[in-house]
Amino acid sequence: MSLELALRATEILMGFAFVLQSLEHLASFQNEQIIHGPRLVLSGLLLAGIATPWVLLGLLALGLLHLQRFQGPYNGGSDKMSLLILCCLTAARWLPSEHWREYAFAYLAGQLVICYFISGQVKIVNPEWRSGRALQDVFRFSTYPVSESLRAYADRPRLLWMMGWAVMLFELVFPLALFSRETLILALLTAALFHLANACLFGLNRFFWIWLAAYPSLLWLQERLIL
Amino acid sequence: MLSLINLLLPALMPSWRFFKAVDPSPRVEWALLADAHSTASDWQEFRPRPQHLSLLQMARRMLWNPRWNEALFLVSCAERLTLAPSEHSRQEILHRIEAALPSPAAGEQKRYLQFRLVFIDREEDGSLVKAVTYQSDPHPISRGPAA
Repeated sequence: MSLELALRATEILMGFAFVLQSLEHLASFQNEQIIHGPRLVLSGLLLAGIATPWVLLGLLALGLLHLQRFQGPYNGGSDKMSLLILCCLTAARWLPSEHWREYAFAYLAGQLVICYFISGQVKIVNPEWRSGRALQDVFRFSTYPVSESLRAYADRPRLLWMMGWAVMLFELVFPLALFSRETLILALLTAALFHLANACLFGLNRFFWIWLAAYPSLLWLQERLIL
Repeated sequence: MLSLINLLLPALMPSWRFFKAVDPSPRVEWALLADAHSTASDWQEFRPRPQHLSLLQMARRMLWNPRWNEALFLVSCAERLTLAPSEHSRQEILHRIEAALPSPAAGEQKRYLQFRLVFIDREEDGSLVKAVTYQSDPHPISRGPAA
């Protein structure tokens, strides 16, 4: 996968995720519409590939306004990933030399690998995660389950223990997937399914779309460094 | 400018410690009062989750989920308000509850809104405990009763 193709794929996936995010904010207060009306237009231009470097700069400016408006991320990790992708893409489109453009985009790929590994590492050192208790707590009383009926999973400790260990092990071994094309594609498909499950069970739909947008960077980096 | 950089840095160098531990979980509850000196008794959870969601509803929410994402933002506001109280978080919660208030019934005299944060946690024996960590002052409702 060439750098140009990977950048374009990232722009399209991120643009689509931004369209969904901004449409939701347009249904809210006026001071959110002021930011997300222009963001929706710029996201459309990004999808169409029109004046991309300038559009990315505009989206970055609106991203900073969004941060200021909500005094931090509105949607936790998905906003952080949105800004990270946006910053890396903007740098990759504006930096003068090919090397620096590659470094900017590789930083995104590196963060993607780190995000899965760190998420697994912080869980596995916690005895509550190892015993399955943490995932039971998520279902029993956390704010995440999208319906009351899902709380019944808290009473299935064996299933949750297996699910918890599957998630921790997958996250920890994710970096090893970089060693071959097939394992990386399999790992990214598994990760996408994991985010899809989180979206269905916990309503984290924004995470699903924006994490997909980071995947082309890793496919490109693997080809660039390893294959 | 400095505050903006402080807000941006966690996005450029994220910690990615998702679900490191399952902390006490906040719920936002609200009540209407007749006057600023009344004591609230009829607390209601803001945007309670539905009893059940079908697969079709879940699929739809993949593309359109504004209320749930707003609820997740309110969880952040509740955590911020408990750890480091700020007027911004208080106003965000108040405005969103106020905007979602049902139209008042004919003759209803309740003109003030109050909210509180209830954190749910698990004891060692597995039982759930609730603790009220914050209760706002009564806030006059800005919009009048529905015509």
